[in-house]
Amino acid sequence: MDRLYEFDREPVSPDKLQSGGKFAGLFAGEHVAATEFVIGAFFVLHGVTARDLLLGLFLGNLLAVLSWTFVCAPIAVRTRLTLYWYLRKIAGPGVTFLYNIANAFLYCVLAGAMISVSATAVGLLFGLKVPALNAVLPTSAGWVVIVVLLGAAFTTMAILGFERLSRFAQVCSPWIFAIFIAGALALLPKLGVERNFANFWQVATTKIWNGVPAAGQERFGFWHILFFAWFCNLAMHVGLSDMAIFRYARRWTYGLFTAFGVYPGHMLAWLCSGVMVAAVGRQMDPGLMAFTAAGAAGIGAVLLAGWTTANPTLYRAGLALQTVTPDWPRWKITLLAGTATTVLACFPVFFLKLLDYVAIYGLVLMPVGAIVFAEHWLFPLFRIEQYQAEKKGWAFNWAALAVWPGTIAACFLLPLHLYFKWLPGWFIAAAAYTLLMAAAGRGRAAGETLMTGGGENSPRTDGRPS
Amino acid sequence: MKILLGAVAILSLALCLAAPALFFLGILPEASYKLALLLASLGWFFLATTWVSHKKKSS
Repeated sequence: MDRLYEFDREPVSPDKLQSGGKFAGLFAGEHVAATEFVIGAFFVLHGVTARDLLLGLFLGNLLAVLSWTFVCAPIAVRTRLTLYWYLRKIAGPGVTFLYNIANAFLYCVLAGAMISVSATAVGLLFGLKVPALNAVLPTSAGWVVIVVLLGAAFTTMAILGFERLSRFAQVCSPWIFAIFIAGALALLPKLGVERNFANFWQVATTKIWNGVPAAGQERFGFWHILFFAWFCNLAMHVGLSDMAIFRYARRWTYGLFTAFGVYPGHMLAWLCSGVMVAAVGRQMDPGLMAFTAAGAAGIGAVLLAGWTTANPTLYRAGLALQTVTPDWPRWKITLLAGTATTVLACFPVFFLKLLDYVAIYGLVLMPVGAIVFAEHWLFPLFRIEQYQAEKKGWAFNWAALAVWPGTIAACFLLPLHLYFKWLPGWFIAAAAYTLLMAAAGRGRAAGETLMTGGGENSPRTDGRPS
Repeated sequence: MKILLGAVAILSLALCLAAPALFFLGILPEASYKLALLLASLGWFFLATTWVSHKKKSS
């Protein structure tokens, strides 16, 4: 555990920096999860057209890669710290504590959605009906039993062997990706695609991404898809939580290696799950989709995709909770996170409203990334003193504490679609935090000037030479 | 041994993709495709985990 968490509180030493090839390999296996079965399928149910989908996914993923490269990686490479520790310097341990609580809860919901997806595969074996698209509460005792059993199994395995399972996940990742491609390819004849692919585009535009939403689903266009692909990992790039990874990078340009993960996982896999859901009559049932497409191997893929991705998510939730309960052993924290996750997984709303949840997840954590960005880049520019929380021993940086929920509230008031709110929100957070800290600094400087009776020649309070 | 294991593991993964391609082209019937996919998948898991263990031991 301590080995995994080395350099948590200190910058990574130069001899521990990793090559670009390691980053390419790491990202290549990181973005094929159980949730990919749901996300790509939901695009079909939301009536997106094939052209909007392809263009939106290509450009949205490009923006995500550029966000990792130009926002997250440069700060990580300059500081060589995790976000948690850097945030502590900026906002104080109190705000970091709250950030960890929020993060742990959001991770538990995400892991819960992955357990729910796996439950659809196991439920298929017992003839269990998957909850309807508008379901919020558990729909049957059978659903609850399967989710609880899966949650217990996933949690136990996360407690018993995180490292071993991580190695197993490395083996699973390319296979799960292969099953996505295999499943889509095998279902193309069912949709009427000819063996020479001559009518593929015609089938794609009329039977798969035909622009007709399912009953009760909002119609998505190009901008929805572009923004979804961009904010899908918002907490990781603009939210800066991937500083934990990029602090090991030799150069900030290693952010470009994320393309090896997002284009296969967040483009190809989503396209494949779209084909699968169209071939099963647009039923949002990942288990049924995979079984129809790939038989027993498909069921295994959904189950393993849920298991191998819920495991590190549970682990991350445990790490976040560990800052709250530092004396607890890891098994106890994982058990707590696993129990919370299992309870959440019983509510099908979390996987049936996964797209909205992903948007909210990014929106909640994004202001913290904006605060760190402002402190790192804008403060030196405007000659505002950096790291005041650390220097002055503040438990809470009140400006950061006010800007974080304030930005979320402002975002929800913005008359924009949920998917588009985060972008103006980021600018609101960065500007508000910079202004508040600049105003507070000027107020303190004026106070000190009055107290010391100094004038223009008094020492600066921001610690910089005049 | 390590190289051989790696090569056969990758071959199994390639078979996971070849089986649906053959089904799409009408060369394999559906039941055979699904059986081939299952067997190739089992092969991948057995060979790849052994391969990874060998790599870990030697590093």
